[in-house]
Amino acid sequence: MKIRPYLYTLLFLIVAVFLSIAIGSVFIPPAELGRILIGWLKGAAFSEPLKTFAFILTDIRLPRTALVLLTGAALGGSGAAYQGLFRNPLADPYLIGVASGAGLGAVLAMSVKWPYSFWGLMAVPGAAFICALLTVFLVYSLARVGKTVPTTNLILAGVAFGSFATALTTYLMLRSTGELHRAIAWLNGGASQAGWGPVLTVLPYLAIGLGILLLSGHALNLMQFGDDQAQQMGLPVMRARTLILLAASLATAAAVSFSGVIGFIGLIVPHVMRLWFGADYRRLLPLSLIGGAGALLLADVIARSVMSPQELPVGIVTALVGAPFFLWVLRRAKNQGYW
Amino acid sequence: MLKIEGLTVSYGPRRVLHNISLEINSGEVLALIGPNGAGKSTLVRAVSGVIPAENGSICRNDLNRPSVDLISLSPMQRARSLAVVPQAGSMPPAFTVWETVLMGRTPHLNFLGQVSAKDEVIARLALQKVDALDLSERRVGELSGGEWQRVLLARALAQSTPILLLDEPTSNLDLHYQVSFMETLSSLTRQDNLAVLVALHDLNLAARYADRVALLVDGEIKAKGTPGQVLTQELISTAYHLPVQVIPHPFADVPLVLPGKK
Amino acid sequence: MFRKSIFALLILLLLAACGPTRTSTPVKVTTEPAATVIPSATFTTTRSTTSITLTDGLNRTVTLASPVQRVVSLAPSNTEILFGIGAGAQVVGRDESSDYPAEALSLPTSGGYSGFNLEAIVALHPDLVLVGGINTPEMVASLEKLGLTVYFLPNPATLEEMYTNLETVGTLTGHTAEATALEDSLKVRVATVDEKILPISYRPTVYYELDATDPTKPYTTGPGSFVDLLIARAGGLNIGAQLKGEWAQISLEQLVVANPAIIILGDAAYGETPEKVAQRPGWGTLTAIQTGQVFPFDDNLVSRPGPRLVDGLEALAKLLHPGVFK
Repeated sequence: MKIRPYLYTLLFLIVAVFLSIAIGSVFIPPAELGRILIGWLKGAAFSEPLKTFAFILTDIRLPRTALVLLTGAALGGSGAAYQGLFRNPLADPYLIGVASGAGLGAVLAMSVKWPYSFWGLMAVPGAAFICALLTVFLVYSLARVGKTVPTTNLILAGVAFGSFATALTTYLMLRSTGELHRAIAWLNGGASQAGWGPVLTVLPYLAIGLGILLLSGHALNLMQFGDDQAQQMGLPVMRARTLILLAASLATAAAVSFSGVIGFIGLIVPHVMRLWFGADYRRLLPLSLIGGAGALLLADVIARSVMSPQELPVGIVTALVGAPFFLWVLRRAKNQGYW
Repeated sequence: MLKIEGLTVSYGPRRVLHNISLEINSGEVLALIGPNGAGKSTLVRAVSGVIPAENGSICRNDLNRPSVDLISLSPMQRARSLAVVPQAGSMPPAFTVWETVLMGRTPHLNFLGQVSAKDEVIARLALQKVDALDLSERRVGELSGGEWQRVLLARALAQSTPILLLDEPTSNLDLHYQVSFMETLSSLTRQDNLAVLVALHDLNLAARYADRVALLVDGEIKAKGTPGQVLTQELISTAYHLPVQVIPHPFADVPLVLPGKK
Repeated sequence: MFRKSIFALLILLLLAACGPTRTSTPVKVTTEPAATVIPSATFTTTRSTTSITLTDGLNRTVTLASPVQRVVSLAPSNTEILFGIGAGAQVVGRDESSDYPAEALSLPTSGGYSGFNLEAIVALHPDLVLVGGINTPEMVASLEKLGLTVYFLPNPATLEEMYTNLETVGTLTGHTAEATALEDSLKVRVATVDEKILPISYRPTVYYELDATDPTKPYTTGPGSFVDLLIARAGGLNIGAQLKGEWAQISLEQLVVANPAIIILGDAAYGETPEKVAQRPGWGTLTAIQTGQVFPFDDNLVSRPGPRLVDGLEALAKLLHPGVFK
C-alpha cells in the first residue's frame, strides 16, 4: 500500500495543528512556548506570564483547534463522499440542502429569546443540526421513485429545497433585524464558542458519520461505474447510497451546527487530493478527511491573524485562498483524466 | 448452466418482456438477437437483477448441486453466479485498467474491498485471457473502444462466475475488434466452460460465433435454436420488417444474412 | 491502509485533547473574583468593602467581593457609561466601535462586530467584562467558560432604565456617588427640555433616516425604538411610529404622503448629506427638502443606550424647535 500520500497529508495536518496552537492574537514567544511544553511534561505549575499563556493555550486555542480540525475533517470527508455518490465534480457537502437547512434552523432559533442556561445555549446549534437532518430526510423522500433514489432527482430536489430554505432564512433575517448581525456571523462560519463543550457535543456524530465514510471507499469506487454495473458486481446500490448519504449528511450537519456554513473545503480538498493521489476512494476518503482538517485549520489561523485582534469569518478566507490555490494546482496537474 | 423460465418484466403498466424461457448450457454461447426496442438490453438487465422481475425464475443449475433461483439472492450472492459485460459506454477516466479489473473481484472480497494475492493472480489471468495485460497501468480514459471492451470482459472474467452476460459488446467496435472480441469470447467459453448469453445486433456475427440463437421481438421469444434454425428468411424478414436473403456462408458452416431482395 | 490513517488521526486527536486540560468550570451562576478578599482594616480608600451581589440582564447572579478595577467593555454604550461616571481609569479594554470619549481610543481593542478575540480579552486580565445587548449569549458563555466575571447590561427601553444602568455600573465600579450625580444632572437637563416643550402645541413631523441604500425604500426608526421615544420627548412626531419593527422600511410613496416637516439624517456617518438627499429622484417634492429642513445627525447620540442619550435629546429638540432651544 502506498504510504507516502498518508505521510505527506498527515505531516500537513500536524504542521497546521501546530500553527493553530502557536498563533493567536496574543503573541506567545517561542521560548515561552517551549517552557510551557516542558512544564506540562513535568506537571509543574506556572507563574505569570507563563500562567496566562498556558491558560490561553489550553482553554482557548486547544479547544478551538480541536473543533476546527473536526469540522474540516467532516467537510473534507463528506465532500469526497458526495462527489463520489453523485459522480459530479461540482458536488459539495451542501448539495442536498444541509447548509440551507442548518441556516434556517439557526435563524429560527435566534429569533426566540432563550433563557440563559445550558439548554438555552444549545438552542441554536441544536436547531441547526435538527433542521439540517430534516432537510436531508425531506429531500431524500421527495427524490424517491418507487424503491430507487436516482441521483439526478436528489440533486434537483436538494437545489430546489435549498433555495426555498435560503429564501425563508433571508426573510426571517429581515424581519428580526435585531439578530441580523448574529445571523450573518453564524452563516459566514467561524468557531466562536470557547471551551470543550462544542467539541464533545459534535464528536459522537462525527465519529459515526466519518467512521462509516471511511469504510465506504470500495463501495464508492464501484459506484463510479454507474448503478447498473455496481450492482452487477455485487454492491447493493440503494442501501449503500442511502447509508453513505446519511453518514455524510450527519457529519456535515454536526460540523455546521457549531461552526456555521464554511464553503470550499468540501469542494476543493477532495479535488486536490484526487489530482495528487488518484481517484481510488479507499484512499481519497481518509486523505480528504485529513486534508480538510489541515486546510480548515490553516484558513482559521489566517482568519485570526490577518486583521488581529479582529477576526475574519473563516468562510471568507476559505473562498479567497482556496479558489486560487485550487486553480494553481489544476494548472500544474500533468494528468488530464484525473476525475 | 442458466435456466430462465417464464420471466416477465414490466416498466410500470407497460409489459416489456413476456414469459421468457431460455436455457444456456455451460460451454455454450447463446446469441440474443432482435430489432431495436425488442428488449434485449432489458432482458440482460433483468437477468442480472438490476430490474426487478414480475414473474418467473432465473435458475443456476450446476451438476450435482441443487438449483438456485438467482432472484432470491442478494446482489452480492448473485454476483458470484453471473457477471455482466456492459456496453463500452461512459467510463470513469481516472481508474487504471488494473484497478478496474480488480473491482470485478468484489463478490469475493470483504466490504472494504481488500485484495489478496489470490485476487491479484486471478485478475492478471483475466487480463491475459483477453490479451490486455500490457494495458494494466493505462488510465481507462486513454483507451480505445476496443481496448476498453476487452478490459470490461476481463473484469467480468475476474468475477469468476460460471455464467456470463454480455449486452451488445460489439456495438461500438470496428470490424477488426468485433471479430477479435467474439473470437476471444467463444474460445473462453469453451476453455472455462462458461454459460454465455450475448445480446448482439449483428446477425452474421451471431451466426458465426454462437452455438445457439434466440430471436426476441416485442418482448417475446419468437424462435430459438441453432443459427441455421433461427436465421431463416421468413423469421428474419418478419422480425425486422425488411426483406432479407439468407444464403449459406461461403467458408463457414453457418447461414449468411443479406438485406434486400434478389 | 485506512486503518492506519484512522489510528494516526485518533492519536492526533488524543494529543490535542489530552494536552493538560484544565477542567473548565461548567456554567457557574456565581462567579469568583480574581482578586483576593482584602480585609477592611487595610483599606485606605473610601471605596465600599461590602460584597456586591447583582442580577444582570440575563438573570445571572453576579457577586463581587469589591468594586472592580479592570473592566473590559464590549459595547460602545458601556464604554460611554464607564467614562461618564468617572470609572474611565478602571477600563482596560474596549471593543472597536467604542470611540467616545476620546480617551477610550487609546485603550486596546478586542474585536467587534465581526467577532471578538477571546485571547485578547483574557490577556488583559479583567476582573469584569461588561457586555450589552449587542453581544451574543454565546459570547457570555464563552467568557464564563474561561473563568471571567461577566455582567450583562440589558438594553434600556426608557430613560429611567438607562439611569438604572448608570447606577448598576456605579455599584460595580465603586462610583455610586458619581453615578448618582450624573443621573441627577441628566434628569435636570431632561426636565428642562420637558418644561420648554410642554407649552408648545406645534409638533413637527419628523422622518429619521437610518439607511437609504435604496432611496425608494429607506429604513426609518419604528415604534418602540429609543429614537422614536426621544423624538416624541423632544416635541416631534415620528412618522415611523405607524410602521412595524424597530428598523422599519418605508416606501417613498408613504414618505411623500406623510410629507415630514423635518428630515434627520441618522446615516450622515455613512456619507449622506442634505445635498445628496435633495438629488434623490422623487424626493424633490418633499416639503422638508424645499424648505431646507434636512439635517445631518450623529446617530451615536441616540442609538447608544448611555448618558449621551440626553445629548441626543437636546440635539433633537434644537432641530425640532430652534426657536425655543438656542
